[in-house]
Amino acid sequence: MSAVTKADPATPAGSAHPLNRRRPLGDRGFQILALAAGLLVLVILVLITVTTAQQSTAWFSGGFKDIFQVAFDGNTRFGAMGVLYGTVISSVIGVIIGVPVSVGIALLLTQVVPARWARPFVYVIDLLAVVPSVVWGLWGIIVLVPWLQKIYVDIASGLKGVPVLGTLFGGPNVTGASFFTAGLILAIMITPIITSLSREVIATVPDIDKEGAYALGATRWEMIRGAVWPHSQGGVVGAILVGFGRALGETIAVALVIGDSVEVTPHLFYSGHSIAAIIALQFGEATGGEFRSALIGLGLFLFVLTIVVNLVARWFVERSTRRARGE
Amino acid sequence: MPLGRRQHVTTVAVAAVAAALGLAACSSSSSSSTTGSGSATTSASASASTSSVSGTIKAAGSTFQTNFQQTAISAFKSADPNVTVDYDPVGSGTGRADLYANTVLFAGSDSPVPSKEVSKVPAGKTILYFPVQIGPIAMAYNLPNVTGLKLDATVLAGIFQGTIKTWDDPAIKALNPGTSLPSTTITLAVRSDSSGTTQNFSQYLVDAAGSAWKLGTSSTITWPSTAHAGDGGSAVAQIVKSTTGAIGYVDFSTATAAGLQAAQIKNSAGDYVAPSSASATAAASHVTPKADLTFAAADEPGATSYPITYQSWDLVYSVQPNATDVALLKAYLGYLLSSAGQALLTPLNLSPLPSSIDSAAVAQLSMITS
Amino acid sequence: MMAAVSDSLAQPVDLREPSGWRRSKNQIMTVLMWLAFVIVLIPLGFVLVTLIAKGADAISWQFLTNSTIPPNVLPLGTGGMGAAVVGTLEITGFATLLAVPLGVLGAVYLNEYGGNGILARLISFMSSVMTGVPSIVMGLFIYIIWVLHFGYSGMAGSFALACLMLPIVIRSSYEMLRLVPDSLRQGSYALGATKARVTLTVVLPAALSGIVSGALLAVARAAGETAPLIFTVLTVEQTNPNLFSGPDTALPLQIFSNAQSAYTGANARAWGAALTLVAITFILMIVARIITALFTRNTR
Repeated sequence: MSAVTKADPATPAGSAHPLNRRRPLGDRGFQILALAAGLLVLVILVLITVTTAQQSTAWFSGGFKDIFQVAFDGNTRFGAMGVLYGTVISSVIGVIIGVPVSVGIALLLTQVVPARWARPFVYVIDLLAVVPSVVWGLWGIIVLVPWLQKIYVDIASGLKGVPVLGTLFGGPNVTGASFFTAGLILAIMITPIITSLSREVIATVPDIDKEGAYALGATRWEMIRGAVWPHSQGGVVGAILVGFGRALGETIAVALVIGDSVEVTPHLFYSGHSIAAIIALQFGEATGGEFRSALIGLGLFLFVLTIVVNLVARWFVERSTRRARGE
Repeated sequence: MPLGRRQHVTTVAVAAVAAALGLAACSSSSSSSTTGSGSATTSASASASTSSVSGTIKAAGSTFQTNFQQTAISAFKSADPNVTVDYDPVGSGTGRADLYANTVLFAGSDSPVPSKEVSKVPAGKTILYFPVQIGPIAMAYNLPNVTGLKLDATVLAGIFQGTIKTWDDPAIKALNPGTSLPSTTITLAVRSDSSGTTQNFSQYLVDAAGSAWKLGTSSTITWPSTAHAGDGGSAVAQIVKSTTGAIGYVDFSTATAAGLQAAQIKNSAGDYVAPSSASATAAASHVTPKADLTFAAADEPGATSYPITYQSWDLVYSVQPNATDVALLKAYLGYLLSSAGQALLTPLNLSPLPSSIDSAAVAQLSMITS
Repeated sequence: MMAAVSDSLAQPVDLREPSGWRRSKNQIMTVLMWLAFVIVLIPLGFVLVTLIAKGADAISWQFLTNSTIPPNVLPLGTGGMGAAVVGTLEITGFATLLAVPLGVLGAVYLNEYGGNGILARLISFMSSVMTGVPSIVMGLFIYIIWVLHFGYSGMAGSFALACLMLPIVIRSSYEMLRLVPDSLRQGSYALGATKARVTLTVVLPAALSGIVSGALLAVARAAGETAPLIFTVLTVEQTNPNLFSGPDTALPLQIFSNAQSAYTGANARAWGAALTLVAITFILMIVARIITALFTRNTR
């Protein structure tokens, strides 16, 4: 027996026959079971695509003009553009607000706070992550929305006539339940995942680079910029994309605070809607064939969108951590 | 490698958690159910105790009836467990449309079939009106430091057509001399759907404000563009609740349950009356219904009558396709009209029907045939 | 750089200290990082305080166990959320029974059998991707393949939650299995055990605490999910003791519908249900942490 080649230890020593023929049935059965369980992931993903596509043919057959209109009224018009706008805008706002905070915390926990004091901080972030989406929505609609309503009205009247900001944050119909409020809640909800992924990524930066920067007289911030950032930027971008994907798919909290009107408008303090929210809120009332088919079609659209965003995101993250680990 | 002590402890812990979850999954709830400990008590002596009837009643319509229907359905289950009632609060207009399309057994509507809908009623079918409840339309407002706001029909007309724009407008101040009113902009909260509450409120404004009210009467009104619209009565309550400076028209039962303040309105006798079950009952006592049991309870005389009182009916076809439906309708509608059913109304801040109207409605039940 | 050097030559110099603006910039950045953490504390604190204050008003033994959910308009005091508590425990419990064994088996495949093969890498990557699939899509999926044929039931809800939990359990179990040192396996093989036996009797027990705590976190996440249940479980007003047939309800669903109501009674019940739900997820999270903390030494 060659001692150099790493033989599969499960092969009984001295057997000349290939693995399959010599292994007991139970052992083989277990392997098949494990394989089946693993394949389940792929099977489910494929099934989701196929079944939702089948159920939404009525909507797709309506033609491009119908699908790509803005209005969605559950009666005659089933356009995707209005709800897509709301989904993207609220998620973008969530990322803009959430990313500086998340990356800041990730840097805090990996570079500033000594390792043995980091644990309570991590617990706080975990606490943030464990609050269910529906509870954020409940707090949002009962506490945050009325409070923000007053603030929005004040901001809007203060910015009256101002060129760009006035349009973004003004307008006569500002209301608490709006794109911006949804973005705010999304920022809170995606912070834990961006923070934890960024921490993972930043933790793989080799110590030697960091120590080298310090040896050259760098301050901590300069070390972060010069040694940590170049190594982890790809991974952090990936973490941000994961958070963005999470925001795109967030349903319940958004449904409760985004308002109830499907429209494309630059006024961020206006009522809006999102794909996931409209599916959740309207499904109970969708008795008509095309209505239901449209909602399922929107679900398929959201599925594909989040899969694509996550594919790109995970690729970035895994590439960064693999490279730093030296694989 | 044999299982060490640590692994044993973990395995036991895992088994304990799994057992707990499994126990919960297998056990059925054995707690006693107390349906109504205080507010909505029911007596099982419903006058229509046909426990041999079983089936499902699908109904839809007025959101004004939501609270009564939900409470009655819950109580009716103990009186008649084999009958399931499904009431979908889609608004009076949609409820009537569902009735014309025959997708519901009865429709809740706060107004009789309007003339423009008469052609939609299937040919040869007669609609019976069963009045079920009476109650105030509250002018719900959100001004944290203002209590006991007084309004009258002319000022309401000005507010709801947008000519009075701020709370410290002289017209409002004139009616509220002792109260300090802020300069906040008035935000209107209105119905976006075809609503009987809108119909009755606008009719009141036509009757009581006369030429001062320019937007007419209908179940859908073209409100000023700055108005915030909601689908259903509770949506309007939600808008008022979350917007400082908002005022909206919504049935008093919903307004109180939402914790909103309601304004006192000047009635035809010149007195300012607050909406309540009592003031609506006082208004209803002056009502004389027509032969088909339709009536309007708005702007009734009497010093204690609340002027914006309205009513709601359950609309049924007099001829039903099968006998089971007849039995189901008689059982459930009979329950709503019985003393047990009507007793559910006052705790909900609604008013029961005057006894003469109630007896006439009960008598009309016999006109449902198959 | 040259200016800094010539500046510092002019006076007795401590080369360890960065000059003026570089130090301020560093300090500002450090303050900003701390600020980021404080910013996150604000909404968290707000939510928890409101949750405890308003939820505590609603919670009582009757609230937690009474099996009739009252109409929205009624104030606190009538009925309770017992139906939803039982629903959450049953539906989440069954979902756990489905997802955890399958997830652990999947992780076993990835780590023990799959190696570096293309299938294993694909499954591993797609599991990560699948954790990002919106939960509403899982709900629609189960609606289409199950509810349309067999009707609403608590079990359908469990299927949807299990789809959600599966990739999470696979990934966390995979990480735990990787940490088990090869020497344990090789010692067992040397004694003549088959691969299945090695996995079941040596590897899994060694990784058990990590797997359990990972699974508990997945359960906590599933217990709080609303969207998958909307399309699979519908709603009821009385406890449905039968998990396998007939609509059901759960705490997140009740919170969702009560949150949309304008009625103060309904809102109060929503807060009570929310506090109950957060307490359940919190307990699961703490147990997971305790298990990790107590048993981490074992996996080195």
